[in-house]
Amino acid sequence: MISARLALRSLRREWRLPELRTLAAALLLAVVVLGAVATLAARMQRAIVMNSASLIGGDLAVDAASPLPPAFAQHAHALGLRTSRFAGFPSVAFAGGRSQLLSVTAGDAAWPLRGKLVVANPSGRNANVHAPAVGEVYVDHRALVALGLQAGQSLQVGGMTLRITGVIQQQPGAGDLIALAPRAVLSLADAQRAGLLGTGSRAKHQLLVAGSPAAVAAYRAWAKAHLPGDAHLVTPEEVQQRLAVAFARAGTFLKLSGLLAALLAGIAVALSAQRYARRKTGEVALLRALGASSRFAFGSLAFTLAVPAVLAALAGVGIALALAALAFTYAHGLLPPAARAAPLPLGPAFAAAGIGIAVLGGFALPPLARLQSVPPMAVFRRTAIQASRRYDALYAVPVLVALGLLALETGSWKLAGVLAASLSGAAAFTVLLTLVGLALIRRYAARLGPALRLGVSALARRRGISLIQTCAIALGLTALLLLAVIAPNLLQSWRQELPPDTPNWFVINIETAQRADIQRALHAVGATGFNAMPVAVGKLVAINGVDVENAPFRGHDLREEAAQQVRLSWATALPAANRIVDGHWFQPDAKTPEVSLDIAWIRRFDLHLGDTLGFLVGNRRIDARLTSIRQVDWSRFNVNFFVLLDPAHGATLPHTWIASFHLPRTRSAALAGFSRDFPSLSLIDVNQLLDRARQIVAQVGAAARWVLAFSLIAGALVLAAALTMSAAERRHEAALLRTLGARRSQLRLAALCEFGLLGAIAGLTALLASALGGMWLAHSVFRIHAFTPPWATLALVALASAVAVAALGLAGTRKIVRTPPLRLLRRD
Amino acid sequence: MDDSDRANMALISATGVSRHVEGPAGRLDILDDVSLEVNAGETVAITGASGSGKTTLLALLAGLDLPSSGSVRLDGHALDALDEEARARLRLRLVGFVFQSFHLLPALTAEENVLLPLELDGAAAPLARARAALASVGLAARGAHFPYQMSGGEQQRVAIARAFVHQPRILFADEPTGNLDHHTRDAIADLLFRLNREHATTLVLVTHDPVLARRCGRIFDLVDGRAVAHTA
Ligand SMILES: Nc1ncnc2c1ncn2[C@@H]1O[C@H](COP(=O)(O)OP(=O)(O)OP(=O)(O)O)[C@@H](O)[C@H]1O
Ligand SMILES: [Mg+2]
Repeated sequence: MISARLALRSLRREWRLPELRTLAAALLLAVVVLGAVATLAARMQRAIVMNSASLIGGDLAVDAASPLPPAFAQHAHALGLRTSRFAGFPSVAFAGGRSQLLSVTAGDAAWPLRGKLVVANPSGRNANVHAPAVGEVYVDHRALVALGLQAGQSLQVGGMTLRITGVIQQQPGAGDLIALAPRAVLSLADAQRAGLLGTGSRAKHQLLVAGSPAAVAAYRAWAKAHLPGDAHLVTPEEVQQRLAVAFARAGTFLKLSGLLAALLAGIAVALSAQRYARRKTGEVALLRALGASSRFAFGSLAFTLAVPAVLAALAGVGIALALAALAFTYAHGLLPPAARAAPLPLGPAFAAAGIGIAVLGGFALPPLARLQSVPPMAVFRRTAIQASRRYDALYAVPVLVALGLLALETGSWKLAGVLAASLSGAAAFTVLLTLVGLALIRRYAARLGPALRLGVSALARRRGISLIQTCAIALGLTALLLLAVIAPNLLQSWRQELPPDTPNWFVINIETAQRADIQRALHAVGATGFNAMPVAVGKLVAINGVDVENAPFRGHDLREEAAQQVRLSWATALPAANRIVDGHWFQPDAKTPEVSLDIAWIRRFDLHLGDTLGFLVGNRRIDARLTSIRQVDWSRFNVNFFVLLDPAHGATLPHTWIASFHLPRTRSAALAGFSRDFPSLSLIDVNQLLDRARQIVAQVGAAARWVLAFSLIAGALVLAAALTMSAAERRHEAALLRTLGARRSQLRLAALCEFGLLGAIAGLTALLASALGGMWLAHSVFRIHAFTPPWATLALVALASAVAVAALGLAGTRKIVRTPPLRLLRRD
Repeated sequence: MDDSDRANMALISATGVSRHVEGPAGRLDILDDVSLEVNAGETVAITGASGSGKTTLLALLAGLDLPSSGSVRLDGHALDALDEEARARLRLRLVGFVFQSFHLLPALTAEENVLLPLELDGAAAPLARARAALASVGLAARGAHFPYQMSGGEQQRVAIARAFVHQPRILFADEPTGNLDHHTRDAIADLLFRLNREHATTLVLVTHDPVLARRCGRIFDLVDGRAVAHTA
């Protein structure tokens, strides 16, 4: 209690101390960056889920082969959710002697709950609508062309005559990997009346719900427990695995940037606390001499740091929320429009404040705790303070705090590990480099000119401070280079994974005989990058000769999963976006069947190279030996398979083909003719998915730029804190040297040498650490394998930083060099 | 030991005290077999050339440091038998300090500096006592001022008020006038001795000023870490 009083009294004057201000500013920054990023990320996550929701038309869907029991809708209403029903089925439409198979969606008046159904009405204007009224139908352009109709005319479906009141421009579910014929939307009531949904129809029935996330989660749990046998849940998260990769990366990327910024702040906090502790050494000795307990001395110091820290953290929460709110309102590139409506989440900002306080605790504890070992004798003689090793173990605390922080924030020990290893590697390398440098200096200083000797031997004399300074600056620079150079480069590599000619259409159900014709026809409409892969549909029936039904799987789900249909393909060369992680790719002349699996399968079914897998395709049984394990990059929009067979044996199986190609958007209409010429084919449009994936990269990039701006400030704080660490000693030395007659230019040259060496060591370390760390991050965390560090840029930035360190250090000594020595000596 | 024993023995007693440190050029003997007894109410000056070990001896007597050999008893407590925390409690109860370079806490006002020992001790009515102490050194009006707003002499007066405020039985002073000019020096010395008389405090004073030393009841002279004379 008394220590708190002493702390508060001290603060009245000490809040002006540069180290306390740096500490508060660093903490403020850390909380602002972490808070704003976390708030943005939470909001973005929500936006992304909402985005996906617009793909399925609701926040959650229950999909069933027959209409769901009424309890499903009733329970949703009880939870305050909105509901909508729709059914999807293929149906042939007729008009003026022509016919066309349509993919029909029959929705109630509420459909869709999320996302947009946009139609152009007969006057040509676009409108946001719900499913049409009884007696009306919306169709897409391809259907109009196929049937030779225009908006306003009528067609027959299921014995009803419906008037075309709109041309579909955009529709939820467009990204579904379901066979897509030309589309039509009509009212659910019409479909029911015409008997299109009766038993025996191929209709799938869906109940959509939408509402607050909590209610949706509650409904999800309830529905899971009450699902009929033929039904399953469709969630936005699982709609698209391709996007899932992008979402996960986006989250990791943002958190990584936020964390690096926070770590920078942590370093500044550590330096400030160190300096504060050094300043207070004399006072602690005095308090001890006057009879204060060591707990009292520690308590009052800890309290003095805690007060500005808590205030800074609270201010940080406010600023973070304000910034996030501002970003939501003004930074349009940052968030999709849908997300801007949602309320500001408060949790992440306060969590960031907690993390900030943890950073302070972790980074400031060691130097403060060390003060407890200051002997009272130090009131008479500073040298009485012996370097106590007792508190060295405490320096593990900031490391653990940092590591815990990393893991907690990213939810990934891998990312945390990679970052921590890179940073501690950088620290170790710096220490080594500095020690070697200092040893060389001690050895050869005598041969240097007087000014040089003065400068470099100053570093050697203050070995402890020199080590802390180089480490702090090197780590700070590493974090900055990672943020400013490596991160944008990673983003660029990520963007390049989806180049402009990324396949945006898939065609399935191609017969072998049609292949050449189809390729020609597509080429004729302007498609490029045609790539066809064979597909055989089968089942996994045995593992190492044991029936899947009897295989010892861990859990019932796995058995069900194993019993599902699998799509098998084969290829002579390893397909793009695939990497062999173990084993060898097929020999061209394999005598016995061989199989290559994606790593996900290996993990799921606990398989090993050399295992034999039995597949049943039609009535053909094939037993293949596992000879390679692949890692498939699912974020690429290529045709990819979990299971690949060797081509010699695969080709003997009954199969069709799946192809992907790129078609410029403006040419999409040309596919209407194509689908009429090849009515048995199904075309899948993935343009919307591609857009989303690209949008995510853009949003992440925009957010990362914000973080970078803050990180630069944090970096400047680290630099300032590190450079001023030795200010007191330097001032004293300079004054003495001046008194002894040293010339100004000599002092300046000495300072230049000192800081030049410091900058060089830090720059070199940062260059290597950020490049290696970046490569490691790219490969093992982001799985961006095409990444190479931009050496030239890195080197340039590292060099510039080294020069900046030297220049700033020199600028900091200018005042000292100018001041009359007596004044300087007096001040100590 | 009980209180009657304690009353009969010297308030401070040092027997065969030596202090050495390991330096780069081998062992350095700072104090060599020094013995000294100070009774309650006595005033003792420790004199000697610079580097003769005065400060070291003072620190050992006050329990700020421990001797390499020999023992020090303060009010009957063997200091080497206590740990650092216990010695701190003993100092808080028994001892006041005045230093050559004042050693006021720069972030606290004069009044708060004087309050410090009282608050550390949890004494009653601290504010009134602190103000009285400040008044007794003639600084009643400067309570709200910070050390940097005061002259050296004023700072030392605040330090003296702080040393006496909790009525310690012993006052240790290391060159209390060393950083001050002639006039101030005399004024500070007068103040110190006056308060010492008023509070009947035992005074151990380190100085190489012979005039100041002669104002004490006894002079203990050190040459190269050894006691050479006991002038009464
Ligand atoms: N920790 C130490 N390491 C090395 N030498 C020390 C240490 N402590 C004291 N000394 C040396 O012991 C000697 C006595 O020191 P002390 O401070 O007691 O002298 P002093 O009589 O108070 O001198 P002054 O009048 O100059 O204050 C000095 O030569 C000093 O350098
Ligand atoms: Mg001395």
